[in-house]
Amino acid sequence: MSQVSQLKFGTTLYALTNEFLSRRYSFEQLLEETAARRIGPGLEIVGFQSIRGFPVITDEFAERFKMLVEKFHLTPTSLAINADQEIRRGTVMSVDEMVAYHEPQMRAAAKLGFPVARYQYGAGPEVIRRLAPLAEKLGVKLGLEIHAPQHANHPDVLKFREMYAKVNSPYLGWIPDFSSTARTVPPSFLAHFRARGVAESLIDLAMEVWQGTGDAQTRMGQYKERARAAHANEIHLNELSLIFPMFGHEDPRGWLELMPAVVHIHGKFFGFDSHGNEEAIDYAALLPLFRDNGYAGFMSSEWEGHMYSDADAFEMIERHQAMCRRILAAA
Amino acid sequence: MKKNRVMTSVVIGDGGVAITPTGFRIDIRLPWYRSLPVSTVAIDSVSIDGVAVDSANVTFELDGRQFALSAMADQVDTVWYVLDSAYLNVKSDRVDPGAAHEFAVTMSLYPPYIRGLRRMTQDRIVLNAS
Repeated sequence: MSQVSQLKFGTTLYALTNEFLSRRYSFEQLLEETAARRIGPGLEIVGFQSIRGFPVITDEFAERFKMLVEKFHLTPTSLAINADQEIRRGTVMSVDEMVAYHEPQMRAAAKLGFPVARYQYGAGPEVIRRLAPLAEKLGVKLGLEIHAPQHANHPDVLKFREMYAKVNSPYLGWIPDFSSTARTVPPSFLAHFRARGVAESLIDLAMEVWQGTGDAQTRMGQYKERARAAHANEIHLNELSLIFPMFGHEDPRGWLELMPAVVHIHGKFFGFDSHGNEEAIDYAALLPLFRDNGYAGFMSSEWEGHMYSDADAFEMIERHQAMCRRILAAA
Repeated sequence: MKKNRVMTSVVIGDGGVAITPTGFRIDIRLPWYRSLPVSTVAIDSVSIDGVAVDSANVTFELDGRQFALSAMADQVDTVWYVLDSAYLNVKSDRVDPGAAHEFAVTMSLYPPYIRGLRRMTQDRIVLNAS
């Protein structure tokens, strides 16, 4: 039975990467435009993108940020933090170093009023276990972003699930990213490769293998082997191999197992079909799962087409949220 | 207003190439969505009219500080903020201000949270005769 949706909308400034990096919009102007287009109220930012000097947050920046959020009626949802384990190439940080690397990023989230810090697999379960008390003290939930090629039951995620079960803290949670549960590879992404002269036969091969079974790494290996046997262009075959880590075709119902501890959602999207539906991700299957199982948090509209398209990201987000509202209003 | 671009493909910034008394200077951008330590950035090649410049004749400049290309990998505490331009200062005797030239830069990024990933981006620009 469907329920009244308590899911709340928002935008991640990551979707607006081209608008920001091209220097067309300042950070402040991005917030202003997000409010003007009504694609908040949720606001997610990437610390190392939006903030100079991150993770150091000056009092001046924090005050200005809080003033802007209030002025534009936005709600800080998630601060994306990073597990930069290999800053010195060839040397991986120890657990102690990784704990020390995450702490100031979590403090930054608290100082700016973000209730959630998005973290990455690279942190590892032991580092996050050790950070749980700080998360509790700061009132900032640590959310693991589960992104393709991983998924709810992937071995990498199971390690965190085991640790979560032992620690049993309400400050440890999940951030499903819909890239894990795509129906197909976005046609707009394949069109980008065609426009670059990638052979149709290579795209057909990649899609045939992508749709098969097995983990992403195995399928990528199979694809490369077959493409090389067919004498495909080496640069093209490597570029196209990105589809294996970028998109997974797991069953959306896998998210149900994580549901009680979902602290945020990345509403990943790329483009739309002629009916206004997402071209590769089945939102009609995904959104009711969250709505009907009690999820009452935010979903950031996370357009990632900016990696290959210069389309207006604000317009893409408007279309995404209109689609989501339509789906949630239907039975 | 400036045109939107796919910024993660952009290496040569809006400032383009400037001819200098000893060669040329290129405005470069970080082709990634976030700031990175300089240690995770490498300049693989700089070329003029298809001819690679000896890397010993190129320096990487960020916030007024100059680094030899070979010293970049050690700059673990120097962060390239994603909105900032850096510059490549190149010694070259191939520049003829009266002629058109094509300049190309190839950069590799080693995003520090994705082990084993090397992301290579090449960008080029043609500077017409002055």
